[in-house]
Amino acid sequence: MRYISYILALLAGAALSFEGAIYGELGKTIGKLETSFYNFFIGSIILGLLWLFFGKGKFSYIVEAPKWTLLGGVLGVVYLTSIVISVPFVGVGITMVAVIIGQLVMSIVIEHYGWLGSKKSRVNKEKIFAVISMIIALILVY
Amino acid sequence: MGILMILFTFLGGLTLSAQSAVNGTFGRKAGTIETTLLTFLTGTMFLAIIILFFGHGNLLAIVEVPKWQLSAVFLGVLFLLFIIAAVPKIGVIATNITVIIGQLVIGILIDNFGWFNSLVIPLDMKRGFALLFMIIALYFIYKGNTRASEEISA
Repeated sequence: MRYISYILALLAGAALSFEGAIYGELGKTIGKLETSFYNFFIGSIILGLLWLFFGKGKFSYIVEAPKWTLLGGVLGVVYLTSIVISVPFVGVGITMVAVIIGQLVMSIVIEHYGWLGSKKSRVNKEKIFAVISMIIALILVY
Repeated sequence: MGILMILFTFLGGLTLSAQSAVNGTFGRKAGTIETTLLTFLTGTMFLAIIILFFGHGNLLAIVEVPKWQLSAVFLGVLFLLFIIAAVPKIGVIATNITVIIGQLVIGILIDNFGWFNSLVIPLDMKRGFALLFMIIALYFIYKGNTRASEEISA
């Protein structure tokens, strides 16, 4: 069953690339921040519908959850805004490399210490090798 | 300026990982669709404020653009749904590395074929090696994760 999660994550990444390429075009017409707003706004509507018909969880958990666990949306916006600001200064290539390395480093730290409620899982040789291979791949791509 | 910007973008990457961890935590209790909905709702609110002050595009032009450009929102929704579903099962590192690989592989394809009016950058030797290293990374992260969870259960 575990490998299904890997396939989902692969598909998520694929969706992100298609999304980025398509939104790049949209951004030329309506502006970058406006494009993100469009994405979040219409996305909320789609998810509202999905939730109405297929939601099996507990949305009301919002009121009892620790407040910091509600910050996912803001973090996403910070990420997006940092890219929008950075690209004109240093270009897409360097921006993507910096973002992805930031993402990898933070993942290791979060998981090693079990921060932000994630399951604690020790860093081991294999994980370090995986990150190094990713960094090599990144440098080769850009 | 350049270095500062790079550092700033690096911080952007940190927040993306933090997002997947935070959402994973919330999702375990509230459910996947519910967490994605919350992320989109709060994101909309923050962006509305940001656009009011810093937006200088033209949101109304949305009615004039070709419709295929608007279809990307479904991809945006799938992206978050899939991530929020994967994190509780395989953890933050494995999810992030796998997402990045999916992203780069499709990115390389889009560049190669010049889809969506993008700049054409052919798949050359360098990028071929990059793909190879990504497969190696995927193998290691799978191995590393399996070992880590064995150590916990042992």
